[in-house]
Amino acid sequence: MTNLELSRAAHESALIAGNGRLDFPVETDPKPIGALLRPALRPALCVVEALAFPLALFGLWTLSSRLGWLPVQILPTPEQVAATLADLAGSGDLWFHTSISLLRVVQGFALGGTAGLLLGIAMGLSPRVRRTVEPLFTALAQVPPLGWIPVLMLLVGIDEGLKLLIIAKAALVPVALNTQKGIRNVPDSLREVGAVLAFGRWATLTRIVLPAAVPSVFTGVRYGLTSAWLALVAVELLASSEGLGYLMVWGRQLFQLDMVIAAMLVVGLVGFALDWTLSRVERRLQRWELAGS
Amino acid sequence: MSTPDLAIAPSSRRLPARLFHPRRLQGLAPVLALLAGWEIASRSGLLDPKLLPSLLTVAGRAGRELAEGRLAVDVAASLARDIAGFGIGSLAGIVVGLALGLSRAAGRLIGPSFNAVKQIAIFAWIPLISVWFGVGEEAKIAFIALAAFTPVAVNTWEGACAAPCKLMEVARVLEFGRWRSLRLVILPAALPAIFAGLHLGLINAWLATVGAEYFMTVGPGIGGLMTEGREHFHMDLVLLGVLLLGLIGLALNTLAARLEARALRWRHR
Amino acid sequence: MADTIHPIHHPAHQAAARGALEIRGLTKRYRVSGTPFTALQDIGLSVAPGEFVSIVGASGCGKSTLLRLIVGLERQFDGEILLDGRPVAGPGLDRAIVFQEHRLFPWLTAEENVALGLLKSHHPAADKRRLVREHLELVGLGAFAKAYPSQLSGGMSQRVAIARALVARPRILLLDEPFGALDALTRSHLQAELLRIVRAEGITAILVTHDVEEALYLGDRVVVMHPRPGRIAGIIPAGRLPLAEDGGAPGPGFGHDRADPAFIRLREAVLAELGAGHAQPPARRAA
Repeated sequence: MTNLELSRAAHESALIAGNGRLDFPVETDPKPIGALLRPALRPALCVVEALAFPLALFGLWTLSSRLGWLPVQILPTPEQVAATLADLAGSGDLWFHTSISLLRVVQGFALGGTAGLLLGIAMGLSPRVRRTVEPLFTALAQVPPLGWIPVLMLLVGIDEGLKLLIIAKAALVPVALNTQKGIRNVPDSLREVGAVLAFGRWATLTRIVLPAAVPSVFTGVRYGLTSAWLALVAVELLASSEGLGYLMVWGRQLFQLDMVIAAMLVVGLVGFALDWTLSRVERRLQRWELAGS
Repeated sequence: MSTPDLAIAPSSRRLPARLFHPRRLQGLAPVLALLAGWEIASRSGLLDPKLLPSLLTVAGRAGRELAEGRLAVDVAASLARDIAGFGIGSLAGIVVGLALGLSRAAGRLIGPSFNAVKQIAIFAWIPLISVWFGVGEEAKIAFIALAAFTPVAVNTWEGACAAPCKLMEVARVLEFGRWRSLRLVILPAALPAIFAGLHLGLINAWLATVGAEYFMTVGPGIGGLMTEGREHFHMDLVLLGVLLLGLIGLALNTLAARLEARALRWRHR
Repeated sequence: MADTIHPIHHPAHQAAARGALEIRGLTKRYRVSGTPFTALQDIGLSVAPGEFVSIVGASGCGKSTLLRLIVGLERQFDGEILLDGRPVAGPGLDRAIVFQEHRLFPWLTAEENVALGLLKSHHPAADKRRLVREHLELVGLGAFAKAYPSQLSGGMSQRVAIARALVARPRILLLDEPFGALDALTRSHLQAELLRIVRAEGITAILVTHDVEEALYLGDRVVVMHPRPGRIAGIIPAGRLPLAEDGGAPGPGFGHDRADPAFIRLREAVLAELGAGHAQPPARRAA
């Protein structure tokens, strides 16, 4: 190897060692000592900072209930909410309602997500299918899932079928739209590579189109799950005799706001957990994108 | 292969030619087939006309409601609520989003809580809001505002954070003050994200309008019209409501997209 | 460096695979907004097996279109393109191309990207694995087999792209400004690498570039093209000694020394040929 080649190789391995990035010294403002200490404490500091605001709010809430600023019917005390939550958890009611809601959302999402995926793939791959289906699809998608509830109530009643259909519809639209978009936006430059390497239809689909569409499809799936959860809460509030939404209606009717707030907390927690799980899966599927950064 | 290799926009842009292009008609076929199937099923008694009233029945209902003046009142009430809630919610969203994005302290202190709270499905707030604000106009507008607020705040926050470092360096070199950097660098850079948020907010607000009217059934509104239709088993009224929801949603959506494209013209030059 | 390379044993290496390219009366027309536009007019070119031909020309002279026609990405044309006497119809594994951008699949590792080149060939899996490994080593990236493109520098990515193009042992390698997006240091390094690899594989190569020095350094002949319509203005022998009979080691062409007066004279000749296609103000020439 010549010197040039050696230095080049060294340069390139340095690039790799630095995880694909060259670090240039950047001129920055002089920092206080506290800032220098920060890197070591950063994770802990982040947690403290993130908790400061909720703790302050919680403090205000406690203070308000102690001093009786608002009647308990308007704002229950933190102790009441905690006690109700413990009660519900202890009696098994909480798990019962949560599991019912979860089951509904999983079933509805599986149904709507699969249909949306298939529809999106068909619309993305075949211009003919897209031209044929798109106007009808767009027209039906314009009406929010909530709008279909009264229609379906009359058509299929207020049983599980209604909930399943509404949740499925809520999941279908974003999944189908994003899948279609992802497939149609596969860069021509990569399609040409496939053509040059004599890929057939199947290889083009499995090696180029689908992998390239994954990020967009996943955006759709996450969005679909969020709107499925949203639709579930709505439909349970309107027509249900069990589930987290029903728990809220019940608490509202009994004027037990502590139960309403407890149920809201669970709704938020489950929504967060669902989204977090998907974001983990997404990161795993797209490790090639994160590898360099 | 008879198509040219270069993808070139069709030179003919005359409207009638585009409108009646066979490819466009292809998309109309399933729509027409659905409507025709509906009409036939309803008229032949294949399906109970009570469950699936014919198109004429729906049209007749629309005409009657329109003549009685109720339809206009319902639509106007829904739209007024939607706009009021959207206005309040999006304004608050922009302010909060900018605060979160511009002040590092605010972003670090309030950001995580905000991210946690937005996970609560929006309809879960209804029972609480109905206790705090009653079931009247205020409650509905508060709920719609909340629905519009979240996406606007999230997107504005992201947009304000995304003000590119390189442009900020230019601002520093040119010795812009705080106000000038905000007006000349941060806001324009955040604008696409803010508009995306407003667009989402508008869609959310319309969804919330319907929801609010379902759950707090006091006063006129399209949601109330549909609830009434369902309770009295007037499917034609319900379907009329669905149609209105779709049409108004489409109109709002188109309007938002137009305004967005207009405001962000510079991006496509 | 060339003598340290052992030719890769390839199961599909047939003695018949020579890589002689014959282009006759090639004309390519597009329609742009309904107006016909001639991208290439009456191109005639013969490339001998194992020869390295460079094509230079200003942008818009149709040199990239010519490569896309040879590789089969564009199928509509008048005239003939023959590879070893057989007309070209659509893409095939007997021709490979390296684009200006590396066009690696970001979701695949370096070795998986190279393996794509063998997807449509009929070797046993073990042979495929060996070929992939050997070609990664050929381009000097044996250690980076498991790296994703986002972890590789531009020069390394382009080397992976070269390995991907070569792994199926094409008869002809087409290079469409492969180093155009790289910095000067990386570029000159990769030029030497490319020369070594092409000689080691004994493969026919056509390089499209707008860099005259690169064209002369790499090519046995330099084809100069003029734009509107794209046509061949002249062919300049780069003066490298003819290939050895076995198609193996290259002759000691002066391409290795860019300061050689003969090299500079040739460069002037190519530049003059290029300039003839432009109406240049005399003042600029004088300066």
